[in-house]
Amino acid sequence: MSEWIIQTKDLCKSYRGRLAVDHVNLNIARGEIYGFLGPNGAGKTTTIRMLLGLIKPTRGSVEIFGKSLKREKLHILRKIGSLVEYPSYYGHLTAVENLEAIRRILDVPKTRIAQVLETVGLTKDAKRPVKGFSLGMKQRLGIAAALLGEPEMLILDEPTNGLDPSGILEIRELIKAMPKQHGITVLVSSHLLSEVEQMASTVGIIRQGRMVFQDTIESLRRQSEGSISVAVSEPEEALLALLRMGFRGKLENGRIALERTDDQSVARIVKALVEQNHAVYRVEEKRKSLEELFLQIVGEGGGA
Amino acid sequence: MRSFLRLLSAERLKLAKSRFRWLLPASPLLAAVVGLLSNPPAGAPPRVEFAVVLSGMSFLHAMLLLPILTGILASVVCRYEHAGGGWKLLLSMPVTRPQLYAAKYALIALHLAAVQALFGALAAAVFYVRGFEGPLPWDMLLQSAAGGWIASLPLAALQLGVSLAWSSFAAPLAVNVVFTLPNILIVNSADVGPYYPWAQPLLAMVPRDGETFGALGLPLESLTVTVLGSFIVFLAGGLLYFQRKDI
Repeated sequence: MSEWIIQTKDLCKSYRGRLAVDHVNLNIARGEIYGFLGPNGAGKTTTIRMLLGLIKPTRGSVEIFGKSLKREKLHILRKIGSLVEYPSYYGHLTAVENLEAIRRILDVPKTRIAQVLETVGLTKDAKRPVKGFSLGMKQRLGIAAALLGEPEMLILDEPTNGLDPSGILEIRELIKAMPKQHGITVLVSSHLLSEVEQMASTVGIIRQGRMVFQDTIESLRRQSEGSISVAVSEPEEALLALLRMGFRGKLENGRIALERTDDQSVARIVKALVEQNHAVYRVEEKRKSLEELFLQIVGEGGGA
Repeated sequence: MRSFLRLLSAERLKLAKSRFRWLLPASPLLAAVVGLLSNPPAGAPPRVEFAVVLSGMSFLHAMLLLPILTGILASVVCRYEHAGGGWKLLLSMPVTRPQLYAAKYALIALHLAAVQALFGALAAAVFYVRGFEGPLPWDMLLQSAAGGWIASLPLAALQLGVSLAWSSFAAPLAVNVVFTLPNILIVNSADVGPYYPWAQPLLAMVPRDGETFGALGLPLESLTVTVLGSFIVFLAGGLLYFQRKDI
């Protein structure tokens, strides 16, 4: 296989007989930002906890950096930085002291603390007790902690949850810079597609514990591409004529709906219809937003 | 070993700024006041007189406050993890659970050792301040302070296990107090006293050549069996639980 940084095989976790994570096959390539999407309670956090060895899978396996997580857990965890659900911090300590507690465990040089604080833009507040921080600052401190050990992989679970728009933007810019500036692969989970689509190169969508979509964001965009809707005087006749010309379409509420059509085809369609004396009332493009597509995927039956 | 020491130093940093450390000297200081005010029987040899004073100091300290302090320490070392989701942070770092468990336990044990050292030092101060004749009975002091430390280690193991299991700060303390309070009755019983883990700190701290009643003044062997046995059971139980816990 090519460079999968994380690969899970039929990963399952059941709680009292109910599968919270159901045969999930996650494939994350080096250097990408992987958006892990799904509604609340779909199994994102459970999957992530298994990736970090916080809980044991009921079935299936996890391979990270090409090694089995079960057998080489410490070695793998040394190269992963993570932020799960909400940021962990010791409120009575300052930002620097919080990072120092983690630095002592990871055994990295003291200079790293100033570096990561600079990266997340907390240098100014370094000496303040963390209990006085805003949620956005705590979240950035959490990312600083995740970066402290110079990881190759960053796992961020809902890093923008509960932040205001400017906080979301800050975190997003921070994450976007990771592969480019530091060569770090990122797994970022969210329940909102709009949050991830602007930074992720690949998305995996999980629904009721099952992976229902896993591909590049372009492929997802292609699926959401619009259809052309044409209102004409005699729709049935007109559709027959167009089908004879080799276009694909169907009748929808008395209008002709044509799939994925480029500009030239639309021009040819209109010309043909006019030449056959159909009155063309309207030519409209109907776009499904990514969000609509996402909701459709997430809302579909389990067989998808 | 290196990673254990690194963990220990990280744990120490978290506790260093905590206000709880001001609780540590409270019980030995109270015991010192008792030592200064108590009235040893007149006419006895100085060593016996001092043994009685030391017994008096040990009673309040080892019967109630030391076991309770053990529980408080166990809750404190877990508090910051429970409060801030810190278990996930700590355990997604390259550390094993037994290492982390050992670091937390070592931290409790070290603090208890400091408390007992202070107790010993204050007892020695009482000896000089009250002007007992003759040399300071080092052996008696050392046995009392060290014995109390060793006898509180099983309780520390149990309380650490309970504190790991419950994210509440107060619940483990309640368990601790519930088991500690019966000490008042149990130390008077020669039948139950020797086998009740919470009574062991007091039994270990009261000087052997002091008064003898109830479970007090029993041979060291019976203490050793109870302390060692409960230590192994409580430590193994806590560790096994922590190893399997979903974080």
